Amino acid sequence: MAESLFYLLIFPGITFQLVCGWFFEWFDRKLQARFQRRVGPRWFQPLADLLKLFSKEDLLPSGANEFAAAALPLISLGAVLTAGVYVPIAGFSPASFEGDLIVIIFLLSVPTLAYYLAGIISAGIYSVLGGGRSLLQFFSYEVPLLIALSGPAVMAGTWSIREISSIQAEMGPFVLFQPIGFILAVVGLIGKLKRSPLDIPKAKSEVVAGSLTEFGGVKLAIWNTVMNIQAVVGIFLLVNLYSSWSGIVAPVLAVPVFFLESVLMIFVLSAASAVFARLRIDQLAGLGWKVLVPLALLQLLVVILMGV
Amino acid sequence: MQWLKKRMRLLLALVEALTGEAETVSYPKTELELPKGYRGAIQLDEEKCIGCGLCVMDCPAHGLELEKESKSVYKLTYYPARCAYCGQCERACHRQAITHTNQLPGSTTDPESIIVILKDQKEQEDSDE
Amino acid sequence: MDKMNIPIGPQHPLLKEPLRLNIEISGERVLGGILRLGYVHRGIEKLAQTRNYNQNVSLTERVCGICSHVHTTTFCRAVEALLGLELPERVHYIRALMCEMERIHSHLLWLGILAKHIGLEMVFMHTWHDRESILDVMEEMSGGRVAHAVNQIGGVRFDLDEDHGPMVDSTVKKLKVDYEELLDVIEHDTTLKARTQGVAPLSTDDMKRYCVVGPVARASGVDVDMRRDDPMPPYDKLDFQVITHPDGDAWSRTYVRLQEIRQSLHLCKQIIDDIPEGPISVRAPRKVPAGEVVMRSEAPRGELFYYLRSDGSDYPARLKIRTPTLPALGILPEQLSEIHIADIPVVLAGIDLCIACADR
Repeated sequence: MAESLFYLLIFPGITFQLVCGWFFEWFDRKLQARFQRRVGPRWFQPLADLLKLFSKEDLLPSGANEFAAAALPLISLGAVLTAGVYVPIAGFSPASFEGDLIVIIFLLSVPTLAYYLAGIISAGIYSVLGGGRSLLQFFSYEVPLLIALSGPAVMAGTWSIREISSIQAEMGPFVLFQPIGFILAVVGLIGKLKRSPLDIPKAKSEVVAGSLTEFGGVKLAIWNTVMNIQAVVGIFLLVNLYSSWSGIVAPVLAVPVFFLESVLMIFVLSAASAVFARLRIDQLAGLGWKVLVPLALLQLLVVILMGV
Repeated sequence: MQWLKKRMRLLLALVEALTGEAETVSYPKTELELPKGYRGAIQLDEEKCIGCGLCVMDCPAHGLELEKESKSVYKLTYYPARCAYCGQCERACHRQAITHTNQLPGSTTDPESIIVILKDQKEQEDSDE
Repeated sequence: MDKMNIPIGPQHPLLKEPLRLNIEISGERVLGGILRLGYVHRGIEKLAQTRNYNQNVSLTERVCGICSHVHTTTFCRAVEALLGLELPERVHYIRALMCEMERIHSHLLWLGILAKHIGLEMVFMHTWHDRESILDVMEEMSGGRVAHAVNQIGGVRFDLDEDHGPMVDSTVKKLKVDYEELLDVIEHDTTLKARTQGVAPLSTDDMKRYCVVGPVARASGVDVDMRRDDPMPPYDKLDFQVITHPDGDAWSRTYVRLQEIRQSLHLCKQIIDDIPEGPISVRAPRKVPAGEVVMRSEAPRGELFYYLRSDGSDYPARLKIRTPTLPALGILPEQLSEIHIADIPVVLAGIDLCIACADR
């Protein structure tokens, strides 16, 4: 009992996820600043921003559904935190079971749907536009992402992340066999996290802040936390699926290598958001269905043929 | 190679920025210096000023005020909060009595507190009597 | 899908200056837009009648925060034409040097804003960093970062000393390198081209119909430049090209402006090399003889037009300013139809609106 509570509340549960989320936000902002030749924020800035948002007045326009606006961020937070518990950290996974990869993928989709609903219920024009865009974007990136993520599962012959991660000790990191699948997964992750260049649903110069335009105070703080934890879970998931070294290197090195890879992933995400311009929604749909899906299918075919 | 370099220009710029120094400074900790020729607050050479009022006439922002009792008895007041730092008074003065320093008066929420009396002959006259 | 109206402005992350656009959309498509102006009307033309000519130099400087120098230059040239003053050659060169440096920093600023609107925050920061180096030179020379206060009636206020020439020279050299890098980005970056190419193109005839001036018109193939067509000295002695591009879309506007930065750098170098010795001002009388005059110059955004009427006193009887943004606003409703919502920032940024100029 005490053990499960520790897993849920401390590691790899809420506390660990929150700390990783703050670190992710700080490191991303610091990198962005350095790309732009700025000094960048100090290490406690994400925490300070969160406290500032908590102390702010919480307002919604008249006509907005108050209950839904309060419930949606909490539901999303629950979903991403639950997903976080199932992702192995350097081979350590207390709650693993067969098929948890599928559960995580669906739990990570909950914030996107909540984001869409938040746009619809918050009674603002920009929110409605942002919500519609988020759903359009969801249909563009989710299919290639799903096909790409099924690549490692098919290769390992199991849908348990821990199994996939540990089988790479024998077969070698999957990123070597599925480079295209890895790139597609990164693109899908960027789309899932609504990060630049795929920040179409919350493009500032077009729809102000998208679905979250009318949100403020505690609710916005929870939304921001959801986005951060979603990013952390997504990065850990990709590291586990594509480049797990926990069985290959010495056990002492497994943890540093895991976190180093995660930091490298943040670097890749930051660099992508600095180098590419934001796409238009029709360009993203074209890219998703005409380029990414065929490539993902091709990768899957190669994986299946390799298995045979 | 050249073609690739052209296409990857943003990535190169990114690496360059990451390896280079940051261009911004954390301001209150690092002092910023204004350039030598910066037009800051004005100062008056009391010896040269004859109280003709040309500077007051040309000031576009009513930043200078002249209270004149007689030809040689007058009071010239400078309101930094109204000043546009345009340099017109410096140019208008025929005797080169007004010059710009490269210092700015500090910011304040009370504009009355930073008024400078550039020259006050009225007070001098009073004390002489 | 149902039609919706989205308001853009007067306050919106897209706009740096207040302007109201009521845009009718259907899904992601823009059907049309209604424009409303006047949020920064300060009554400068009326105000000018209540101030004497020397005070008006500072007033016209504050029409615009970006192209402040060209406003005072045009105003001073108008007054000097009424007074019949013969200015020393050196004055013209210093004025032209500041004009060209202003054009460079205005175009760099604009390029940064376009990049920011399409999500290239890094390009935004880097162009503004380049722009900062030219602002530093202007501040060092004139004493002001934005309000340079270079001009006075009858001359300029500062003289170039021996430090300033090498400073301009080294900045021009540095900016030429930065220009090459920016050109690579504009010409080759895939996502930037995907967002700007083919967005709301306007033909040469359209541009002529709306009397649009400046880089926007030149990007549609209208060959117009006041520096060549109605040159103020010393442009008649300097060598430069008028850049045009036939396409008329947002990308060609980017391209034209970037090429103009290069021409301006070239002009700066020539001015610093050729500048003659001599006095920097002549004494101007306070009262201006009765008469009227029209003066035009090439601001960073196009032709700037000043009409000045004097009744013989030391206050102007009428001052009319027509800024290049005013005709460019006319093409806005035409551009804002049959595009995506995501193209609105590109269209607005591509025109390079200066609302403070247009409202005065």
